[in-house]
Amino acid sequence: MGRIRVLSDQVANQIAAGEVVDRPASVVKELLENALDAGATRIRMEVEGGGRKLIRIADDGCGMSRDDALLAFERHATSKIRSSDDLLQIATLGFRGEALPSIASISRLELTTLPADQPTGTRVEIAGGKVLSVEDVGGPPGTTITVRDLFFNTPARRKFLRAETTEMAHVTALVTHYALAHPEMHFELHSATHALLTAPPVREATERIYQIFGRDTLDQLVPLAAERRFEHAGLPEPPPWRRDEDYRPPDPGYLRVSGFVSKPALQKLNRNSIYVFVNQRLIRDRLILHAVTEAYRNIIPPTSFPVLLLFLEMPPHEVDVNVHPAKTEVRFRQQSLVHDFVRESIRATLMKARPAASFVEALTATPRAASSLVPAAGEPEMPGSDPVAQPEEAAPFALSAPVPRPEEVRLPFSGSSMVAEAAVEIQPAGPVPSPASSGANGHACSQQILPEGAEGAPSLASLASLKPLGQLRESFILAVNDEGLWIVDQHVAHERVLFEKILRERKVERVNRQRLLMPMLIDLLPQQMAIFATLAEELERNGCEAEPFGPHTIAIKAAPAGLAGTELERMIFEVLEQPGSDSQSENLETARTRIAASIACHAAIKVNMPLDPARMEWLLAELARTEHPMSCPHGRPIALRYSWKEIQRAFQRI
Amino acid sequence: MPAGVEQEKAVSGAAMEIAVSRHDLLRELTATQSVVERKTTIPILSNFLLEADGDRIAITATDLDQSIRTSCAAKVKKPGSCTIPARKLYDYIRLLGDGDISIKLLENHWVQIRAGRSNTRMVGMARANFPQVPEFPESSVTRIPVASLRTLIARTIFAISNEESRYTLNGALLILKAESLAMVATDGHRLAHIEKAGESFPGINGEKKVLIPRKALQELQSLLADTDADSLDFADDDSTLFFRVGHRVLTSRRLTGQFPNYEAVMPRDNNKFVIVRSQDLFASIQRVAQFADERSGAIKMRIEQNELKVSSSSAEAGESEDTIETPYSSDPLVVGFNSAYLIDFLKAIGNEGEVRLEFKDAQSAGQVRPEDASDDYKYRYIIMPMRI
Ligand SMILES: Nc1ncnc2c1ncn2[C@@H]1O[C@H](COP(=O)(O)OP(=O)(O)O)[C@@H](O)[C@H]1O
Ligand SMILES: [Mg+2]
Repeated sequence: MGRIRVLSDQVANQIAAGEVVDRPASVVKELLENALDAGATRIRMEVEGGGRKLIRIADDGCGMSRDDALLAFERHATSKIRSSDDLLQIATLGFRGEALPSIASISRLELTTLPADQPTGTRVEIAGGKVLSVEDVGGPPGTTITVRDLFFNTPARRKFLRAETTEMAHVTALVTHYALAHPEMHFELHSATHALLTAPPVREATERIYQIFGRDTLDQLVPLAAERRFEHAGLPEPPPWRRDEDYRPPDPGYLRVSGFVSKPALQKLNRNSIYVFVNQRLIRDRLILHAVTEAYRNIIPPTSFPVLLLFLEMPPHEVDVNVHPAKTEVRFRQQSLVHDFVRESIRATLMKARPAASFVEALTATPRAASSLVPAAGEPEMPGSDPVAQPEEAAPFALSAPVPRPEEVRLPFSGSSMVAEAAVEIQPAGPVPSPASSGANGHACSQQILPEGAEGAPSLASLASLKPLGQLRESFILAVNDEGLWIVDQHVAHERVLFEKILRERKVERVNRQRLLMPMLIDLLPQQMAIFATLAEELERNGCEAEPFGPHTIAIKAAPAGLAGTELERMIFEVLEQPGSDSQSENLETARTRIAASIACHAAIKVNMPLDPARMEWLLAELARTEHPMSCPHGRPIALRYSWKEIQRAFQRI
Repeated sequence: MPAGVEQEKAVSGAAMEIAVSRHDLLRELTATQSVVERKTTIPILSNFLLEADGDRIAITATDLDQSIRTSCAAKVKKPGSCTIPARKLYDYIRLLGDGDISIKLLENHWVQIRAGRSNTRMVGMARANFPQVPEFPESSVTRIPVASLRTLIARTIFAISNEESRYTLNGALLILKAESLAMVATDGHRLAHIEKAGESFPGINGEKKVLIPRKALQELQSLLADTDADSLDFADDDSTLFFRVGHRVLTSRRLTGQFPNYEAVMPRDNNKFVIVRSQDLFASIQRVAQFADERSGAIKMRIEQNELKVSSSSAEAGESEDTIETPYSSDPLVVGFNSAYLIDFLKAIGNEGEVRLEFKDAQSAGQVRPEDASDDYKYRYIIMPMRI
């Protein structure tokens, strides 16, 4: 007898479960997605013991007939697609028909479901994949699924679970994300003892953010909205001679992005606060993460990450969601187009908003390692809640929505204003041309950006109106305008001005370089010599002409205008510093901005340098003209503000 | 001297009392006050040291890097010494009317100043805390004509570097030879060199090079501007440079480090040249520089058939061009410069007469010099071009 055997369904399901369900949060995710696919408008979840003890999810969706209810637990049973062609057009969150059987195989599950148009519903009980009972029940329309004792029959998996609080944090984060993606729906999440999240329907994401995180977080975010038409590129079309009379070329459709991006002042130590949804599906995508990092490069420090909520929408055929059973990875058909669009939209939004940071906020704004957005206000201990052990990876995660009062949810961002603003043309993208954009009109993507709120979000746009008062210790410029008192770091301000100027001039090869009377000889270590060899050309284009002068010396013959003496030498050493261990992999663009940032830093006005009023005015005016006046190329803030309001409040005038 | 006498001197020192003409005192305070330390990091340095002895009152100020010591005639009723807050004293004396002033040291470093109906007390610090100022060494003194040195400084000081660098460029190099005197200064981008022949320094055999810090040159410049003397005395030791102008002595700590080999960079074969009037060139550059890049101040000089064109352009400001007519028939040449460097030179020669601009090509150093053969001074200004 052969040794190969077809596995029983139960074992197959358990194996599949290993991929689909690796922790309680994945169960919640699958069930939540099912409820959403079922058209629910209210979803209520209860989770106990970090999800191991109990997960219950009740929706008011379409429900299932008795037959469907049983079929749903068969492997690859789904109502969402029928043929493999449908895989190209997936409009639902689920489609693999794997989740229910997988979950049922590793837990004790009870399903109660009742379609709206039928008098009786069905209750199914399953344990470890075995159907225990099926019976008729009454009740409200919709579906309730209760999962108990998750992983009771897979001890291996159970061992890998983290502390209850951690698992709970993941569940809560997940539900929060979906609540954010669906502001029009009612979400509730309860633990054994208290409500973790209650979010009644609101009109839009802004209000949802406010509901969940409160004003402070919302204040740190800038709304983003942009769209562009997809390229035709590669869409299958029949050849002209096979087209009907009334043939219409397929509509390439639109790529849209909306959501929120954080101001540079808000920084996190990891990527966990970057939430990306593609067609309302929560995903983790390296391409998008990369675009985000690129967008924030030279705006926040390279070691920090922003907070983002990005909702990408595109025709289903533009994105393949069938990459991994957990469906958190996707593949875009036109990768570079999506990448550049996201990057440019974020850049343009930040550039337009020019968000100003408040001095008071900046004081406390050290990057935090929060595992995700956490409500800003300290959470009061709930009566009767278990004393929670400190979770090992994140701050205690407990979300409780402020009890929403409708009138408080009035926000400056109204639905109608989404399209009110004139289209903003995105500048041709950065120096690396993407394949998708190399064609004619490749970048003629127009985008719309939400207007500022009526009350005027703090913005650096008003920098131009600043009047300098003087310097604080010859290092910070104090300046005022109607908005309040501003403190501007003179060094980083000039650094930003020079940085953008250098990149601009470098692009058109118009860098002014001063030749030196006597070449400056600099001795280098062997590895610095090696890096010099790779960067010499780029240095040269930035005005720094140097050539090897013997085996371990270089001779600098010309320098970028404004950089001389020791500062020039320091700049060289900084640029020749090993950029991480993988100097090989530093791409040209990174090297270019690194060199520009270094030149800017060393040529800039220093701290402890007296400036006369005219010079201060000049600097503020130049800063106002930069693209990103909020932070220096290394990500430090440039201008902080005490708003008129804050000042009045501090002096107890209001 | 027995210890008792020393003791007594200290006691009498605590009782200094003088009368001095307000006019004389103010003149000497003015000459001294610029070296008083402005930062208040070391409090004693913001004081003048006053020492009364014989028929003079000596005034000393120092910031540790340099010092000025001067004196004026006074009626010394009680010899002694004290320190007085420099700024306060200077401002107060300025506001007094002409006449005699009496200065008297009281208990606990209080000093009383009386003039006419004005009576003021201010508090100084213990005299013992005032740093020792080096004494002018009477050996190996070189006499230098005041007028020569004045010119040398005025024509080089602007080229001294503001930046720290591996060479010591924060001063000018004075070169004394038996029959000439020269000074050179550079910031690594341009270099000013001036030589005065027809001097006589009997004490110098061969060549003596002295690097003088910028701050000291500035002080020296004001001392030289405010003297009737024809010559000054220069001396130096391992750590200090001394300049005695009339009754005033300036000391400066020596700069350590190396001045570059400037002779190697002097251009030799700059055979394309034009001659223009300083005034015209100055006016043109000033106009055109308005439109130069803010950071580099870059302008282009184009010489072609009987013309010198000065032009600039920047993304922010616009562009501008001036044409100066001048004989020229060699190959055309375009070379860029930092306009500020040329302006500095033209200002240094008082914007008078004609200048000769000498070039080789767009990469090599340009040389500018006054076109005035009658002058005893040989003045050359070398500027490295800028690629624009
Ligand atoms: N909450 C629900 N309400 C209505 N139908 C549901 C619900 N959950 C699951 N179903 C049905 O069960 C089927 C199987 O679910 P699942 O195993 O998650 O696979 P998939 O979601 O990939 O189709 C779904 O296709 C759907 O028809
Ligand atoms: Mg599903």
